[in-house]
Amino acid sequence: MNAIEIHDLHKGFEGFFLKDISFSVPQGTVMGFVGENGAGKSTTIKCMLNLIKKEYGEILLFGKDHVEHELSIKNDIGVVFDDLHVPETLNATQLDKIMRKVFQTWDSDYYFERLAQFKVPKRKKIKELSRGMRMKLSIALALAHHPKLLILDEPTSGLDPIIRDEILDLFLAFMQDETHSILFSSHITSDLEKIADYITLIHNGEILLSESKDALLYEYGIFKGNSEEVNDLPEHAILRTRPGAFGIEALVLKNEVNEAFRLERPSIEDIMLFFVKGSV
Amino acid sequence: MVGLILKDLMTIQRQMKAQAFVLIFLLVMAIFMQQSAMLLAVIVFIVTIQAITALSYDEQSKWDKYANTLPISKADIVFSKYILSVMLMIFGLVMALPILFFINFFTNNDITSEFFLTFNLIITSALCLLAVLLPIYIKFGSIKGRIVLIAFCFIPGFLTGMFKEYIPDMTQTFLYLKQYVYLAPLGGLILLCLSSLVSTAIYKRKEF
Repeated sequence: MNAIEIHDLHKGFEGFFLKDISFSVPQGTVMGFVGENGAGKSTTIKCMLNLIKKEYGEILLFGKDHVEHELSIKNDIGVVFDDLHVPETLNATQLDKIMRKVFQTWDSDYYFERLAQFKVPKRKKIKELSRGMRMKLSIALALAHHPKLLILDEPTSGLDPIIRDEILDLFLAFMQDETHSILFSSHITSDLEKIADYITLIHNGEILLSESKDALLYEYGIFKGNSEEVNDLPEHAILRTRPGAFGIEALVLKNEVNEAFRLERPSIEDIMLFFVKGSV
Repeated sequence: MVGLILKDLMTIQRQMKAQAFVLIFLLVMAIFMQQSAMLLAVIVFIVTIQAITALSYDEQSKWDKYANTLPISKADIVFSKYILSVMLMIFGLVMALPILFFINFFTNNDITSEFFLTFNLIITSALCLLAVLLPIYIKFGSIKGRIVLIAFCFIPGFLTGMFKEYIPDMTQTFLYLKQYVYLAPLGGLILLCLSSLVSTAIYKRKEF
């Protein structure tokens, strides 16, 4: 079963469109949702959560329509945005009291364990917490009702590598249960390399690719050379080219290229740059 | 719904504490001036208007973006603000009335039918104020909402001034209506219910 299924999602704003977005997140996997700022990641997530209304298309979460079964779906998801959107005069203990009334499955013990693990002060007002602390609190809030799906919209942006690593470990622990799934939107591709099973790349409101991370990293290669050398590559093997420091760089299908060509292993960032800035 | 009201009460807790000092000052003034009705009006309005403070805090923190990811319906999010306001109003009355009777006892002012008239009018005005304020603030937010509110208050006054000679003398009508003043709070409550329906419709069309 797919935790998330999106078919032909369309949403238009002044000067920006989500154009027929389609991708799915299989249950038990982590989908890295990658793209530059303004590519449409947050808009897609907001459509999924019915925070903004889609124009057309189909969004299914746990196989159910996201508007028709909105409340039952929201019982099973945890959402983390790039900031904690709760009134700043509240503190973590007060939030526990509130959430106990919101979720029937709210687990106060688990919540306070996470706060202790992250060293988030229980009684300090949110406005007095650092950005890292606020994000950790936000993640503890998203996890403490034991959701089946985490929707993370840039949860690690603006955080230092140590905190990012701690947070990623927590997400990996969440994924120990094979019924759990994560949609992780980020432009920090190294985070996705650590945690994602699949990568979906969005650019200018369009999905450029949606594939398994291993396929991307092991089936693709980068060839660096001058234009004559690149011309020697089989045409059908070249996915994208772009100017490099010493000539031309080409993203190629590894299996379609003779072993005589020396290929480098691409990173997610390389692939993203080829698809966004390169030419066909 | 309970969670939302709890959240609002916790959010405005500090604000309420700060305003308690203002109320003590007013209490002293009311005792000296022997104006218990004024005290009642101020307490009821200050407490009731806290729902607007809660809305401002929500707006500042983009709470609605988060609240709409929780298993809470949009109707409940809106309705919780109305319940909160009415709860606060009742709390204001429970707090104000004993003080009022206390002042009247010491100043030897009897509780007259005139007082009940004032009491009814205060409650009705507070309910009507909420019925107008909440949809405006939900639709426009606290900054634009203030401007719309000012326009809302001034335009009728301006129009009345412009077309004064065409408007008949209302004194007799008011005197006639005075006998029905006991029903006024009920009218205010009905207006508040209608306002909640309008606010829900507005909120359902909002995007976050």
